[in-house]
Amino acid sequence: MVPWPLYLAWKQLFPSGKKVSFFSLLSIVGVALGVNVMIVVIAFMQGFQQKFRKDIINAQGHARVVPLKPYADWSEIPARLRHAENVEGVTPYLQAQLLLQSGDYHAIPFCMGLQPEDGDEVLPVDDFLEEGMLRLQAHDAEDVTPLPTMEMLEDDVVFLSSQTANRLGVRPAAVVQVYEGNASLPESTGKRSVKVARLDPYVESGEWELLFEDQESCLVREAISGDEFTWETGEGPLDMGFGYPVFELSGGGKPFVAGDRFLFQVFKANKIEIFSPSMIEQAKADELIPPREVRVGGIFEVPWQGFQMEALIGTMRLMADMRAQESACDGFYLKFSGPVARDEAKLQAKCRELELVLEEDWAVVPWFVENAWFFELLKFEEYLMVLIMIPIGLVAAFAIAIALMTTVLRKIREIGLLVAMGGSRFSVGMVFCLQGFVIGSIGAILGCGLAILFIRYREVIMTFIVERIAGSDGQAGVAQFYDFHSLDVPFPWESSESLSTFLSFALFSVLVSTVAGLLPAWRATRLNPADALRSE
Amino acid sequence: MSEGNENLVLEAKGLSKSFRLGDGSIRVLADADIRLEEASSLSIQGSSGCGKTTLLNLLARLEKADEGKVSWDGYEMEASSSPSSRESVMRADFLGVVYQAYYLIPELNVLENILMAARLSAGANRESMDRARSLLSRMGVSDKERQIPTKLSGGERQRVAIARALINNPRVLLADEPTGNLDERTGGQVMDLLLATCNEEKTGLILVTHNPSFAEAADSRVFLKEGKLSSRWEPEAEETKANDEDN
Ligand SMILES: Nc1ncnc2c1ncn2[C@@H]1O[C@H](COP(=O)(O)OP(=O)(O)O)[C@@H](O)[C@H]1O
Ligand SMILES: [Mg+2]
Repeated sequence: MVPWPLYLAWKQLFPSGKKVSFFSLLSIVGVALGVNVMIVVIAFMQGFQQKFRKDIINAQGHARVVPLKPYADWSEIPARLRHAENVEGVTPYLQAQLLLQSGDYHAIPFCMGLQPEDGDEVLPVDDFLEEGMLRLQAHDAEDVTPLPTMEMLEDDVVFLSSQTANRLGVRPAAVVQVYEGNASLPESTGKRSVKVARLDPYVESGEWELLFEDQESCLVREAISGDEFTWETGEGPLDMGFGYPVFELSGGGKPFVAGDRFLFQVFKANKIEIFSPSMIEQAKADELIPPREVRVGGIFEVPWQGFQMEALIGTMRLMADMRAQESACDGFYLKFSGPVARDEAKLQAKCRELELVLEEDWAVVPWFVENAWFFELLKFEEYLMVLIMIPIGLVAAFAIAIALMTTVLRKIREIGLLVAMGGSRFSVGMVFCLQGFVIGSIGAILGCGLAILFIRYREVIMTFIVERIAGSDGQAGVAQFYDFHSLDVPFPWESSESLSTFLSFALFSVLVSTVAGLLPAWRATRLNPADALRSE
Repeated sequence: MSEGNENLVLEAKGLSKSFRLGDGSIRVLADADIRLEEASSLSIQGSSGCGKTTLLNLLARLEKADEGKVSWDGYEMEASSSPSSRESVMRADFLGVVYQAYYLIPELNVLENILMAARLSAGANRESMDRARSLLSRMGVSDKERQIPTKLSGGERQRVAIARALINNPRVLLADEPTGNLDERTGGQVMDLLLATCNEEKTGLILVTHNPSFAEAADSRVFLKEGKLSSRWEPEAEETKANDEDN
């Protein structure tokens, strides 16, 4: 059975014959909004942390192996590391300080050398290249450049971060399909078409015309060189070797008809010159070394660069050459699988284990140790938020306390009556304390519900808000840094961290509202029932 | 307890009470005695401000006296002590209270108001619900069960308040000028109901009233004057004055 103080507290908030009292509506809405805001802010902060964590692991792997002593030969280290359980990938790297030049423009990016044969199992370079892909825009042409991949990396080819490429004003090879004149329609219409399957960094600029004479054979003509030959499509893709685009058939099953015509315009990749500190040494010795010339193979964007927006990826050999250090290695990036990848404590233990495997000649540094400063910053921000929000919660509590206090004063005679009818003073006080409790509880539940809705519809809400603040142009900029769309904000049933955020703020609001009821409750307890009954 | 008092349901002996007023104090009750026999009614008359409400408050143990003793059903209490929590619990079953200004809780409907008293005692259940309904029909307001008190007339409110006072089958009902806010006719009806129901229910009644005809209807009749209770007839002039105020 419901204790009478709780019953009466409930009834005072939700009187018979009325849906809800104005006071309780206002207080509950206030508490709900407060709880909602607190949860959402913290959930988003945690979402950012989660996102940065993912980005960092993508950009740096789970851990980095760095030498503690000079080493003679590192070539068997990857095999030893790979042998350990849960090690999914090992990628050696070599860094260098290089000066890039293109025409009058210079850049000194962060330079990373990798082995193309390692692929992108640890560092998802192909994803970075896809992220950084810039398509040319034209009204009657479409950029159909195939995505560059890690496989295209060679000693004479580098990938540049979009910031570096912009600074130097360079870009990789590109090809556009032109739809002007009587050229056939784009592939997207579902018709049979021809597409560029590969575009290596060595292609020359050119204008390619592919004119079908019948459904099998196609006359291929390049306008600048005047080359002309026939492609029998039955023999497979048209691969003329390095330096030429590779064409292949694509699209629907309808056969080609005579007169089908495809136009492609190829733009060659820019070249850049590279200077290294070792060249300066050689120059001092009066040796004149020409700068190294490389081609831009692709443009990438790394979600996390530790604020190094200007970066270059080349081969390890290129870096070794530029440093004039044969077969050097700065360390290895590691990727783990299974529980080690998910659990930071296990990762730390694993790193220690690997250090022992490598006989303590190498340090194995987990990502969160390497980026500790950043996460401490984020944590600090989170705590600061909580610190700011708690006083706001207290202000809400004062409002509730004052409102309940006026209720006590308004209900003095009823308080006297309750005592006269056999209620203890303590129970009478509880009526007001419990009103605070009920307000806090309902507010907490509604606030959690609101927060879930907010998390569920964050895209719609954030797009709306950001557009209001930054305009539709600024939105792209905001999205770049605070990517709400890809932000992983878990629901309370999805992550224990989120659940504890929800629970702690709900508990906070219940507690604060109940405490807010204490003062009015105490006031009610202190009333002399005889005086209370006499009061007008 | 003295012999021969077995059927006394409420008794007070030597009650004194004075209130501080500025530098001095006013003595409201001076060595007042009161005795109520089981299932009987007693009316108290007295001029305005003479201490009738104070007396009821002392009997209900809502206020501390300076001296004296109060006993409920033979349970004797020092009237100058603070009411204990045990007394709170006893009060819920022992006493029913009816006031001039009804004091119905506006957030509860009529039925809930009546059951509120039950909640303060044993709790609201089927039985108390049935009893509340029968009291409401006894009071002639059974059609107002779901009504909000603020939408009732004064007479109806007081009927509901009486039903509430009786829900726990109290041994004694204290009524402080229950018809004070009602017109003569309605007051008469309410008073008849009150007296009749208390009689049926075998509930003792202490009735404070200005109206001599209501007072006369009680089994016994006492007058409060200068802090003392007496059964002596009061001077005519004072009585008339009190009547005027009442109406
Ligand atoms: N709390 C109090 N403080 C001071 N004086 C009081 C207090 N309560 C009552 N009195 C005084 O005691 C006297 C008796 O009051 P009361 O019992 O209400 O009279 P009645 O009910 O007979 O009209 C009055 O003069 C009143 O002013
Ligand atoms: Mg009075």
